[in-house]
Amino acid sequence: MEYLPLLMFVAICLVLLLGYPVAFSLAGTSLAFALIGLATGHFDAAFLHALPNRIYGTMGNNSLVAVPLFVLMGVMLEKSRIAEDLLHSMSRVFGSVRGGLGLSVVVVGMLLAASTGIVGATVVTMGLMSLPSMLKQGYSPALATGTICATGTLGQIIPPSIALVLLGDILSSAYSQAQLNMGIFTPKTVSIGDLFLGAIIPGLVLVLLYCAYLVFYTRWKPTAAPMADGDGQPIAIGEVVYSLLPPMVLILAVLGSILAGIATPTEAAGVGALGATVLALLRNELTLARLREVVLSTTEVTAMVFMILIGAAVFSLVFRGFGGEEMVESLFAQLPGGVFGATLVVMLIIFLLGFILDFIEITFVVVPIVGPVLLTLGVDPIWLGVMIALNLQTSFLTPPFGFALFYLRGVAPPGVLTSDIYRGVAPFVALQLLLMGVLALWPQLATWLPYTLMR
Amino acid sequence: MGLTCAVVVMRYYLQTGSIALQESVNYLHASVFMLAIAYTLQRGGHVRVDIFYRNLSPVGQAWIDTLGGLLFLLPLCVVMFWLNWDYVINSWTVKETSSESSGLAWVYLLKTLMLIMPVTLLLQGIAETIKNILIIANRAADNGSTDTQS
Repeated sequence: MEYLPLLMFVAICLVLLLGYPVAFSLAGTSLAFALIGLATGHFDAAFLHALPNRIYGTMGNNSLVAVPLFVLMGVMLEKSRIAEDLLHSMSRVFGSVRGGLGLSVVVVGMLLAASTGIVGATVVTMGLMSLPSMLKQGYSPALATGTICATGTLGQIIPPSIALVLLGDILSSAYSQAQLNMGIFTPKTVSIGDLFLGAIIPGLVLVLLYCAYLVFYTRWKPTAAPMADGDGQPIAIGEVVYSLLPPMVLILAVLGSILAGIATPTEAAGVGALGATVLALLRNELTLARLREVVLSTTEVTAMVFMILIGAAVFSLVFRGFGGEEMVESLFAQLPGGVFGATLVVMLIIFLLGFILDFIEITFVVVPIVGPVLLTLGVDPIWLGVMIALNLQTSFLTPPFGFALFYLRGVAPPGVLTSDIYRGVAPFVALQLLLMGVLALWPQLATWLPYTLMR
Repeated sequence: MGLTCAVVVMRYYLQTGSIALQESVNYLHASVFMLAIAYTLQRGGHVRVDIFYRNLSPVGQAWIDTLGGLLFLLPLCVVMFWLNWDYVINSWTVKETSSESSGLAWVYLLKTLMLIMPVTLLLQGIAETIKNILIIANRAADNGSTDTQS
């Protein structure tokens, strides 16, 4: 009975694999276990009665208001074809460089990454937008698909990403809980904005690594990425400015206002959403029908995210009711290697879970369990958040189970072999691991900026 | 519904400062997602782990959705409703208002969403489950008719 919480966790993973919607599987399985627990007297119904308070807490949580706003901004940029325009003009700017199309995919991916947090959505969008033109230009399928998968997952780590919003919210409560456990009653706080700041440098380093890899690889193997044919019509400066400037300004406005401390992430998200709408209006891309489409799909994504939050709340209450937290704590206490060992194990678990769960589930289910324990051990919350985001991103890219690969497979033409995708993505996985190693050695990479700016 | 709410949330955020305004944003946000959960179910918008699911036949998918509906979704709605009931009723009896002095006075209405959500989700869940049972039944009937013909 001692291992009942662990058993429940395993059962949930298995149930999830069946394919019933995640939110309901999580909550439903937990309820079933709670029922067993009630019948056998191992579970106190009082834990379940905390649920209404949890749900109401979610409804009133101001930081989470950023979620629908960022989703709206992303969907708007995508549906109004601002993203597509951007890709076209970028590839013409880089037209004279070997591998230029690949580079522009990375850059556009980075700019868009911000907006959509759901891995699947970004990969599918990038795949539909850029894969055909890359293949048409004669890129090797492996290089093309690898680049797209890697770029599609950038959304996890480049702020302002929804992944970081959710992670920041969970970490901030985990952090205050950890400090209470340690007997600190005037706790320091960590906010979503801090996490954004922490992720900027590692995110940019990652983009640079991608670009460097593309440049070197295409030099070394020119056949994998032929130059654009045609006489490379020079592109007018005006056109570049027209397509590049607005999204850049938008993203800088969002990030800048957070960096400068003018706006909370939620307010910045509001600015971003409004900005994206204005951009779409200015381009005459915003018909009433399209606005409707954008808002409806935003509503769907939002409802989906919050239902998972509610499902995860049921899970965590039942988990706690079975003494799961004490179990996790004692497990960690037995681990060799102290803080480092514990962090490594957590990272490994998260990596493996990344094969079957999307980041929302992991953030809501796993982080609340392990977060307080690790933070009590003295791990820096910002560093932990960035590491988790990077780790998940790597997990989504890793064959054979990575999410990103499945989604791209879904939109890739039959001519592209699955093995091409696997081969193409391998170097990017190596780059990810490299960055994680570097970040583990020099945590300052993540923590320097927020601590310098905030304190 | 979703349209107005999301647009208003967005607009309102440009004029920060007032607590009441801040709370109205929260109200709208909460209303959007609490009311849209059932709608999202209808549109099939709740994410699944579809590594295996996507390769199943429509009937196989219908089986999973039927079982999931009966075992997870419908009980969850009932339990949520039952758990939330007292919480919301308490709020109504005191006509609960915001804890901020200049906040909005309709916390009890906001909390009522916690009852509306399980009910709408339950209704939609029942509809989806019936739909899936019909898919299974139809396929069985189809097989039956082709069998008699051959």
